[in-house]
Amino acid sequence: MIRINQIKKSYGTHENRALILKGISAEIADGDFVVILGASGSGKSTLLNVISGLEQPDSGSVTYDGTDITAFNDRELTAFRRENVGFIFQQYYLLPNLTVEKNVRMGADLAGNSDYRSVLKAVGLENKLKKYPGELSGGEQQRVAVARALAKRPRVLFLDEPTGALDEATGRQVLDYISCLQEEYRFTVVMVTHNLNIAEMANTVIKMNSGMILEIYTNETRKNAREIGW
Amino acid sequence: MVVGIKDAAKLIGISVISLCAVLVCTMFLNFYIDILEIEPLIASEAAMLFYDAQVSTAKIVCAVSGGCLLVTSVIMLLFYIRHYIDTHKKELGILKALGYSNLKIAGNFRVFGVSVLIGSAAGFSASFLLMPTFYDLQNKDRILPEISIRFHPSLFFCLVLLPTAAFACLSVCYAACRLKAPVLQLIKDSPQTPAKTKKQKNEPDCPFLAGLKKSTLRTKKTLVFFIAFASFCFSAMTQMSASMDTLSSRMMALMTLIIGLVLAFTTLFLAITAVVRGNTKTIAMMRVFGYSQKECCRALLGGYRPASYIGFALGTAYQYALLRIAVDLVFRDIGDIPAYEFDVPNMLASLAAFLFFYELMMYLGAERIKKISVKEIMLE
Repeated sequence: MIRINQIKKSYGTHENRALILKGISAEIADGDFVVILGASGSGKSTLLNVISGLEQPDSGSVTYDGTDITAFNDRELTAFRRENVGFIFQQYYLLPNLTVEKNVRMGADLAGNSDYRSVLKAVGLENKLKKYPGELSGGEQQRVAVARALAKRPRVLFLDEPTGALDEATGRQVLDYISCLQEEYRFTVVMVTHNLNIAEMANTVIKMNSGMILEIYTNETRKNAREIGW
Repeated sequence: MVVGIKDAAKLIGISVISLCAVLVCTMFLNFYIDILEIEPLIASEAAMLFYDAQVSTAKIVCAVSGGCLLVTSVIMLLFYIRHYIDTHKKELGILKALGYSNLKIAGNFRVFGVSVLIGSAAGFSASFLLMPTFYDLQNKDRILPEISIRFHPSLFFCLVLLPTAAFACLSVCYAACRLKAPVLQLIKDSPQTPAKTKKQKNEPDCPFLAGLKKSTLRTKKTLVFFIAFASFCFSAMTQMSASMDTLSSRMMALMTLIIGLVLAFTTLFLAITAVVRGNTKTIAMMRVFGYSQKECCRALLGGYRPASYIGFALGTAYQYALLRIAVDLVFRDIGDIPAYEFDVPNMLASLAAFLFFYELMMYLGAERIKKISVKEIMLE
């Protein structure tokens, strides 16, 4: 269980100070599929960074099964991320000089996962092991990023606009892979998006605006990636 | 202006190398020209032998030191231009898309010649500061008629103005070649796919960190050269300096030592900075995934250690060969030259100092890596 309690986060100093998160509180159950929904500038990515331990809040706490990660120092946060979380970003951030296989091993080696090829197979890239990111399409690159994150066997997978740089067909395909793999491995998913339709895939939706939560609601029926609008 | 003085200032490595090269070459070439003028005044055969040895020394020092440092400066310049274009692809692509010609854009790279001008002018001036002591040393034996310092404008032209112009031209030509890439390739900033060799295709699967180490070395070959060169300079100059204290003079020994340390420090510092800067995104992504600072350092910097040891070994061999040639061939007919043998304790002391120096530089590199925030990945 992830408990977010009264998180505040600001950037800048003095008169240029901008309060991005204005006291956010929420709970995320293990194995849940959560979407943080909001327009650009609503603070959703900042919230994701704070929950995942990429950034420290100004105040408030984020606890994982009772352990407050906001009290961790840099080394402890690194160890926490190593053991618990996986990331998928809009811009993929693959290492261009390493093959697909090596990029996936970046995540797999941390978890001692020698069966990383099965994850590559699950995202349909078993034939692209020796290719470099520059030789792949955008959709394929994002699937490598998915495989890299999942090969780490994370407890929680954080996704920041994972389909933002993809066309509709490829975007649906990537979401479909993530959804299927989540059902298979039962990890928690926390995804940031501005796309209302993608929110229909989630169990829980946290709707944000101007650094505050507008509402948290649960979808009675989850739609799959092929059923949602775009 | 695409490239400014600020960018040229980053070529401090080239300035330092130019300074050292011009300092040594000016001193010995000036001495060479001045000594030629006293040839008709030499009366005895012993003095003639000494004169020939001095002329040969001046020639060898200029050719070896000057040549070696010139090649290094050229490689460093090309490396920096390439690095600059790679990191400013988008801006350069936009200029091309707007209709600026390759030559027009590349023309701005001529300011890189400024780094050579600064270095060579400083080296030229410094050599004239050291010259009185240097000439006094050469004159103290009184074997040859008094050699006096004369200023030769041709040397200023050949060692300061000509290299500046040549480096400026080289910068423009090389930049023009690199800018031949299609506009879209520059604007999109798409990662370049490394060319696969047959060996790479068949290479057995290895862990991520080992793969990253190999790939860092493979994609940054120039840096392997610089790190080996830095170690080479450290090894050759420190050992040569100790031997020169006995063979030549304390002043020459000190000068050799200072040049060696400055060259080694500058080159190694710039190479490590380039490795860290060139891998900022990789480091940030590794930190995001939970790789420790130690693992990042080992993967990105650890691979260069063998190159540094090879550089050290080559430096040891080079200084031995050079001094052997000087003692056995150039000064063989001069009576009071002390015997020269390979100095093992000196080599071991130099190795110990080198290990300390290298690990200190790696520690500085590790500190730079430590400062890279995971936020780097979000700042695009």
